[in-house]
Amino acid sequence: MKKQWINYFILLLLVPASIWFGVTMFEDRKYVFISFIIVILTLIPLILTFEKKESSIRYMVIIAVMTALSVVGRFLFAAIPGFKPVTAIVLLTAIYFGAEAGFLVGALTALISNIYFGQGPWTPFQMFAWGMIGLLAGLPWVRQMLQKNKFLLILAGLFAGVLFSLLMDVWTVLSVDGFFNVKRYITVVGLSLPFMITYAVSNVIFLLLTIKPIGEKLERIKKKYGI
Amino acid sequence: MRSFSTYHPFILFIYYVFVLSITMFMMHPVILFLSLVGSLIFYMMLTSVRTLWKEIRFYLFVFILMAVTNPLFVHKGETILFFLNDNPVTYEAVVYGVFISMMLIAVVFWSKAYSYLMTSDKFVYLFGKTIPKLSLVISMALKFIPSFKQQIKKVHNTQKTLGIYTSESITDRIISGIRTFNSMISWSLENAIEQGDAMKAKGYGLKGRTNFSIFTWNHRDMFVFIIIVIVFIIIMFVNGLGGYSFTYYPVLSNWRITGNDIVKYILVMLLVFLPSLIELKENLQWKYAKSRI
Repeated sequence: MKKQWINYFILLLLVPASIWFGVTMFEDRKYVFISFIIVILTLIPLILTFEKKESSIRYMVIIAVMTALSVVGRFLFAAIPGFKPVTAIVLLTAIYFGAEAGFLVGALTALISNIYFGQGPWTPFQMFAWGMIGLLAGLPWVRQMLQKNKFLLILAGLFAGVLFSLLMDVWTVLSVDGFFNVKRYITVVGLSLPFMITYAVSNVIFLLLTIKPIGEKLERIKKKYGI
Repeated sequence: MRSFSTYHPFILFIYYVFVLSITMFMMHPVILFLSLVGSLIFYMMLTSVRTLWKEIRFYLFVFILMAVTNPLFVHKGETILFFLNDNPVTYEAVVYGVFISMMLIAVVFWSKAYSYLMTSDKFVYLFGKTIPKLSLVISMALKFIPSFKQQIKKVHNTQKTLGIYTSESITDRIISGIRTFNSMISWSLENAIEQGDAMKAKGYGLKGRTNFSIFTWNHRDMFVFIIIVIVFIIIMFVNGLGGYSFTYYPVLSNWRITGNDIVKYILVMLLVFLPSLIELKENLQWKYAKSRI
């Protein structure tokens, strides 16, 4: 009961309050401020739900392992520039361990990989983007569909890679202009297009080649240790 | 010297939040300029003049690029300099470009400095009290990363020694990476679950267990805490009254700094130069103490 109370409190009171605060305090920068606060306020209830829940240490260890794997994912394919299976690993976790695990692995990957690549105000946005990808892919019926249907899996891989890039570009434009400048957004997206494509394609390749062998292994682990 | 990093992690965190807030959410040119100078000086004190120079060259390029290209995206502003493809290039847009790139570079250098100060142990400590479960997951993941890297190297070298996937072709490299990942996953999960069981056996999560931390809150933390909180509150209050408001479009606000404004900027200076002053003070003290030997 208590945790739900906090969630409602955040949604019903803190979000409008921070919008009001942003509008009155920071004239030109209100969108930057509000987007920032809302992203953080979205992360809080999701994290608190995990905090308050009773969960086995084995489950926590698995989340830590998947996070660490997706952080070192960049080193796995160091020989191929641009081939980063981070989103694919988040998707795999979501598919086999559910929405919460997907969210946590996504958000924590952003947080931890930024310890190596540089923390900054962009960290909450990356946590949000990856966390949401994990959360969406881990929803019960989405999981089942992705496990069965290869075509949907390809779509999900592409979509997740593109979505991450597009979301982060929104933040770039907002932080520069203070409002959503469509012209700059199109240019920024255009400039990041080659990276976006390599990124999305590498995720799809990785997913297609791993979904079966890794899936079997994860299923085995789940059965063996009863998670 | 890194004396600012010896302060309590909470001070480091809250200072970073404050200084980034005034840099990111307030667009007054003087604030942006002061914040940029503050970040560069502090970064230089943490590293060296040479490192700063090496990195600033790249950002100088970004700076010029932003200032030049901003008028292409924004056509607001009244002072038209010339027309480019029938689109007006305005003076205000150029000025905005200059200051917004100052903001971006200031944010980048504050963040770079921050990653020197906020090591992962402080990070885990900071959130350990409020979100103990998640920070346990984080600290486990942080511990796994180096050992996974090592294991990846081992598996990869073994593959090479066996003579598989040695060609330079892209398919070989991808398949090699995936095979490595494949072998990593069962190895790491099984190992980690055993570790989890061991933790459970030792009583993790039982009531009454405490954890050790090296960080203590003392007088100087309290002193700095009070200063930064008061300064930040005053800045926010003045901002709420419109003291730091500045508009770029359609016409730039008044540039002139009058006597009354000085106090407002001294407040900002106090905030942005605080870590540099602390470093400076410790450096001088150290030099003085050394000279007395």
